[in-house]
Amino acid sequence: MKKTVKGRWRLAVALGVVATLGVSGCGLNEDNSSSSGSSDTVLRIGTTTDVSNFNPLQSLSKTDSWILNAMYPHLLRIDENAQKAPELAKEYRYEDDGKTAVFELRDDFKWTDGQPVVAEDVKFSAEKIMEYKLGNVAAKLTWVESIEAPDATTVKFKLSQPYAPFAEGVGFWMSIVPKHIFEKAGDLSKFPNDTNWVGAGPFVLDSMTKGQRYVMKRNEHYPLAPEGKAAVSQVEYRVYPDVNTMMLALRNGDIDLMGTPVPVSAAKTFENDSKIKLEKVGALGFAHLTYNMKNKYLADQQVRQALSMSVDTKAIISAVLQGDGQQMAGPISPIFAEYDNTEIQPYPFDPAGAKAKLAAAGYRDANNDGFFDELSFGVACDQSNANITRVVQLFRESAAKAGIKLENECVERNTFLTRTKNGEYDIDASQWGVFDNPMDQLRSTYLSSNPGGINYNLLESAEMDTLINDAAGTTDPEAFRAKIKNLDKVVHEQAYLTPLYVENFQFAYNASKFTGFSPSPSDLLGMVTAYSLAQVTPVK
Amino acid sequence: MVRFVLSRALKAVLTVWIAITSTFFLLRLLPGDPTTLMVEGDMTPEMQAALLKTYGLDRPLWEQYVSYLRELVQGNLGISFRQIQPVTDIILDRLPWTLLLAGSAFVLTVAVGIPIGVTAAVNRGKWLDRALQGFGISANALFVPSVAILLLVFFGAQLGWFPIGGAIDPDTRGVGAYLSLAHHLVLPVLSLILVQLGPYALTLRTNMIEVLGEDYIRAAQARGLSARRRVWKHGLRNAILPALTLMGLQLGTLVGGAVLTETVFAYPGVGRLIYEAVGQQDYPVIQGAFIMLAVTVVIANALTDMLYAVLNPRIRL
Repeated sequence: MKKTVKGRWRLAVALGVVATLGVSGCGLNEDNSSSSGSSDTVLRIGTTTDVSNFNPLQSLSKTDSWILNAMYPHLLRIDENAQKAPELAKEYRYEDDGKTAVFELRDDFKWTDGQPVVAEDVKFSAEKIMEYKLGNVAAKLTWVESIEAPDATTVKFKLSQPYAPFAEGVGFWMSIVPKHIFEKAGDLSKFPNDTNWVGAGPFVLDSMTKGQRYVMKRNEHYPLAPEGKAAVSQVEYRVYPDVNTMMLALRNGDIDLMGTPVPVSAAKTFENDSKIKLEKVGALGFAHLTYNMKNKYLADQQVRQALSMSVDTKAIISAVLQGDGQQMAGPISPIFAEYDNTEIQPYPFDPAGAKAKLAAAGYRDANNDGFFDELSFGVACDQSNANITRVVQLFRESAAKAGIKLENECVERNTFLTRTKNGEYDIDASQWGVFDNPMDQLRSTYLSSNPGGINYNLLESAEMDTLINDAAGTTDPEAFRAKIKNLDKVVHEQAYLTPLYVENFQFAYNASKFTGFSPSPSDLLGMVTAYSLAQVTPVK
Repeated sequence: MVRFVLSRALKAVLTVWIAITSTFFLLRLLPGDPTTLMVEGDMTPEMQAALLKTYGLDRPLWEQYVSYLRELVQGNLGISFRQIQPVTDIILDRLPWTLLLAGSAFVLTVAVGIPIGVTAAVNRGKWLDRALQGFGISANALFVPSVAILLLVFFGAQLGWFPIGGAIDPDTRGVGAYLSLAHHLVLPVLSLILVQLGPYALTLRTNMIEVLGEDYIRAAQARGLSARRRVWKHGLRNAILPALTLMGLQLGTLVGGAVLTETVFAYPGVGRLIYEAVGQQDYPVIQGAFIMLAVTVVIANALTDMLYAVLNPRIRL
């Protein structure tokens, strides 16, 4: 009996080990890429998550876009100065008093199966997005009544009404897919596009090992690369969900570039590493405090202005971003230099002045507790955003000096987003991600119809609606810029929001191996745009 | 025997059903829905409603639940909201990695924990016992991500002995692939072992001390059996029985620990899949992964119970 039990034990353990190794071994060679190229031409980039959706018309993920944008061209790109620059489109113009947007395409883009990229591909991509309401581009095509492709290099979007940034928005956000491939898929809302990729960007996916890496091969015909094709023969995305691990992988030489920005607090760890270089870019969004106009006290302009005077943005930039950010005055980020109204200045940090202002407006501290009786507000934020959480703490302390009592209501991300969606907050402290142009930003955040659900002021102002709609329909560039600047001023005077800072992002890469990146602002674009990857060269 | 197995199977099914039901409703009790995270300046309420309809989340909760159970019985875990792929395929892609990681950690924890527990018990009160106890209690207080990062920094970045993250070098083939696999496995397994070892070794030590005071051990000594045989043949067989229960329970903790370990070590298992799916509120993937983990733990516990019965001659089925 004893021997039998002993034997069973050994058998059980042995079987367990063999089974685990055997089962795991099944997946050992599933990535059948022939990545035998010399290591100096393989650019390895760290990403934080797997690709969740390979359909570029549908995906909403930032990290997906890093890979998909390298495969599928866009009409326009954003350059290092946040300006739209030509990509597939050589140029664009408006006709019919702004009711027709015309894109002229280059004739030298080719899909990797040899077919040319033509106007019909653009027309097909836009029509399918409209038909199936795909991704975030569907809303940008709201004004489109019809699309024409009169020849291989011309696309015309007929609009129901002029919308000034239409071409910029659609040009930048919309991926162009090969019609001859995608039309075979039928319902594109159910098309995973997870194999046999055909692209026209500088690189095209060749193979993947889910959870580990995505291997992209060079497109031998990419006209925006200096030599007609990228100097790097292969781009390999490796997945590191934890940014600390990704930083170690860069230092260790396992990757050559971090796709995600280096946290401000961690940037110093690279200072003594001669191989690693940090590239700094601006943001296309900004951090802000937004006041709920449904609150009867926050609906008072004097209170909002006093709150703006109670925020020490310089100290916040210094303490939270370690100085690595820009101050703002109105809602237009200085990165959009041509639209930023430089005549307006940030509210001065002056809690005593704010207190006097509120007293003059009739607010009283009857119980002498140091706070105005009615002025007690909650500040909601996403507690996973360490910077904003710290901002709320600093804001709470400085507002107390102005006699305004604030409660920290930072909560888990989903709860926070649900509360903002339902208007359940007094003050919202958060950070806009990416606005590619000021007009879309102003429409989304101040129109009373709340088109994108992010009018966090819950503002219903006939004056603002008129100003925004008037600007949106202005196609003369000079007049358009003037109207945006005026809106910048109005929002600032009304203090609908208190802009906090425009954060700088730092991207780390191994400068001893690669050079020539062409960074663009924001953590969405950064160093990994199609254009940037096409410019990279190995260090000799 | 048959009655015992049937009874255990029934309990297992009931446990899994409770796990399925609670996961289903808890997910939907969370604030927001999968569209909440898709905060886009341009996403209209109509588009959000259309997405919810696509996901089937516009129907009454009970209807969603009944429909989910019906599909589940047919072996269909649903389609991922984000990846537009069957959840079963997504999970089966990742499961082998978690089995390898958690399985290796489990086997090694037992293999290392037994000698530590026994050695501490045999040397009760001596410095070795105190040292091992100190180690066990300290290990019990360790937090997986902290241990994982420390291991990565020291053994990966500083000494360069082990790779920084990943499960295998995808360019390796044949024997090289197995070696690469083992090389990548060392640090994640070590982090799990360090965290798991404490309770296991301490429990075994306590059991062993108790057993070594039993009459039959003294009788064995009187019969002239060597100390080694008394401890390892007679003592351990009895001391290990209560620890078996702990093994079953530990599997659950091990799987939970894998979520954090896999995230820090960029290990492509189910744990990391859960981490990513939670961030995206991808209900079908989260549900599928939790059901799979629940089934794994339930089966492991059922097997532990049966093994307990087989190994303990006092229990007759």
